[in-house]
Amino acid sequence: MPTLRTTAQRLGTATALALFLTPLPLLAQDQNADQTASNAPEKASSQAASEQAASQQDTSKSVPLVPGTPTWDSFHGQLNAQKYSPLDQINADNVGNLKKTWEVHTGDVSDGSGELPPTVWSATPVFANDTLYIGTPFYRILALDPATGEQKWSFDTNSKLEALTQPALKSRGVAYWEAENPVEGKSCQKIVYLGTMDAQLFAVDANTGKKCSNFANNGVLNVNQWNDTNDKWPLSVLQPPTVVGDHLILGWAGNDWAFEQAPPGTVFSINARTGEREWTFHALPKDMREQSGTANVWTHMSADEENGLVYLPVSSPSPNYWGGNRTEKAPMATSTTALDVDTGEVVWSRQWVHHDVWDYDINSAPTLMDITVDGEKIPALVQATKQGFLFVVNRLTGEDVWPIEERPVPQGDGSVKGEKLAATQPFPTKPAPLLDQSEKPEIWGLADAVSFGQCSALWDKLTYEGMYTPPTTKGEGTLAYPDSAGGVQWGGVAYDPQSQTAIVNTSHIVQYVKLYGREAYEKADSGSGNEVGFSPQKGAPYGMRLKVARNWLGMPCWKPPFGELVALDMHTGDVKWRRPLGASQQYGFFMPESWGSPTIGGPAVTAGGVIFIGASMDAKLRAYSLETGEELWEDQAEAPAVANPAVYEYEGREYVVFIAGGNSILKDQVGDQVVAYALPKDDSE
Amino acid sequence: MPQSRSQRLGAIVLLVASLVGFAIALYAYFAPLTGVNGTLGALVAILANIALAVMALILPALKGNATRNVWRVLILLGLAGTFFAALLLHQGWICVAMVVGLIGLILDMVLANRATHPAQP
Repeated sequence: MPTLRTTAQRLGTATALALFLTPLPLLAQDQNADQTASNAPEKASSQAASEQAASQQDTSKSVPLVPGTPTWDSFHGQLNAQKYSPLDQINADNVGNLKKTWEVHTGDVSDGSGELPPTVWSATPVFANDTLYIGTPFYRILALDPATGEQKWSFDTNSKLEALTQPALKSRGVAYWEAENPVEGKSCQKIVYLGTMDAQLFAVDANTGKKCSNFANNGVLNVNQWNDTNDKWPLSVLQPPTVVGDHLILGWAGNDWAFEQAPPGTVFSINARTGEREWTFHALPKDMREQSGTANVWTHMSADEENGLVYLPVSSPSPNYWGGNRTEKAPMATSTTALDVDTGEVVWSRQWVHHDVWDYDINSAPTLMDITVDGEKIPALVQATKQGFLFVVNRLTGEDVWPIEERPVPQGDGSVKGEKLAATQPFPTKPAPLLDQSEKPEIWGLADAVSFGQCSALWDKLTYEGMYTPPTTKGEGTLAYPDSAGGVQWGGVAYDPQSQTAIVNTSHIVQYVKLYGREAYEKADSGSGNEVGFSPQKGAPYGMRLKVARNWLGMPCWKPPFGELVALDMHTGDVKWRRPLGASQQYGFFMPESWGSPTIGGPAVTAGGVIFIGASMDAKLRAYSLETGEELWEDQAEAPAVANPAVYEYEGREYVVFIAGGNSILKDQVGDQVVAYALPKDDSE
Repeated sequence: MPQSRSQRLGAIVLLVASLVGFAIALYAYFAPLTGVNGTLGALVAILANIALAVMALILPALKGNATRNVWRVLILLGLAGTFFAALLLHQGWICVAMVVGLIGLILDMVLANRATHPAQP
């Protein structure tokens, strides 16, 4: 029998929860945004992989996968996307003494209440050339002193601040390139690149902030010149290019869910000095590009320089929730695809979702790592996904490290015309999924009780036969766990090469999706402004509605935790530890940390045995023990830090820097804060 | 009959606690990086503390035990609600202020009771 105390606690909790959980806008392309299954890398690609591996043994130069010196000169720190720093001045014993050393507010922020759209700032600072480079959502580049945050120079692209393809002004920052042997006194031997919403890529001298006149058209490359199919909107360059040698490997973002057709996914290799296009990769077969589209790369990529490979996380085709216009094979959609960085040829490709009708974009760069399994050293990569899967394959060949099985999946109720679902989908046997998608998530009794059974009633109306239950037109639709907002996002997996531990943050979010025939859609989404979650997929026979499963008080209908931090032993693929991450917050009220928070952003890990991460709704920055998962330090930021932090050493002192820019996926809180932490000088000496 | 200063002590403590809570809530709302700056929750805490302060001011002037007791119950609910809100806002000092306010309320009841039932010589 419940005691008075527990009843009071529950009542209090319920009251608090009534204020909790902002409608989670949905993640598609960071927006809101008949296939025979194959369990092996593309056949032609396997051959190419072998040839590639053989030729590389002869010709490639030795470039260690983990840089020999501390490096944080790209979006994920290093090209391997490990987000790992060998620095250990800050360690698990002293991280509690961490102090804010400087803080900068860029002024480039909007909450959307005025004339400007809101900002979404998911950048990671780039440390190079003894400078910290930042790209803002107003499309400016700032060069800061790494020790003080003092501005060295700034560059304004003067880009129009219009949300052309996204609901917000977005940026994930800058990329940095330098010549192998920079010539002293000559400009543009070191270049910083920033892309814009209207598809312009700017190149400026890293020392002066002046445009590089030899790059494209006086320092500006019009990427939209290559937008030649379904060009309803520009190819927004929100993610900085991945710099591999002298190549800028560039993807772009589009506008999901609005139309049946979209520009088909392309990735360009651009000469870092001149802006000339070197090759173009198409993710979709030629005959599918016009009728469908996307399968683009809108997030960062990783690269193995020694083996000359760049790894593309490829998104899903258009439209995202109906596939009747793309029933042919599209083996590189929703895939990890390895390309020869010099030629753009496909070396291998693994499709993680066949005939994707769930918007399971591959949304983070695969993390490259050398792992030892059963005594054998394997050049591997880990691809995290929205589904909460971690696919581990040999990064040279694409072959399984632990078996990835093709398993039969639900075939729907037949209510969706023209759909031709895949019979099977790939399931990794190890590591175990980060969340259990095999059964309908358990209803949270508290949310159900305070809503007088609303959650139970909703659950009864939703179809769920495990993940990959296809969308339906019936009832309230299909329960999706996870869907576009769930699992792992663009922060990806961090990796400590010493202990061979992978670290990843994941969300647990239940959504539900329903398709509406065109007539029914027009009726349901009447434009009164009261409808939530509708997207038209214009041109397709079905519009859709995607919502988060909450009760009328805004409480999640499923059991917490809502987000976790997980450490995995990559010798075995087993979980070392897992713990709720952060706290959910609504209207300022913090929920218990044991419930965790949905997370956007990602970790960084250091040789000091410390994991740094923001990513949570409560806008706190935290440090955890790599060994135990214990929380060691926290500080309050202006807004959620929705990208990986950067770790660097400057003049003998180790710094960790976060950008707290916020993302409406978590809540409507925006920021323009760049904040650096270090040990007090006495400690660091 | 107006209360003596000693009889008003409880209300004074309650008033001071509410004003302190108000100041902290104001700081939490306006100062950057409090974690709740600019939030509806902090605004609610500000308004709740203002309401408590006003109620503390009115309390000594009320006539009749029944009216006073109803008023005290309202104050108690206000203190409890503000305490809980402050707890969720991670504003521990507001919680402390509410506890002090509760002490003031208890004092008010005890002193009023003594005035009604003076000790026998």
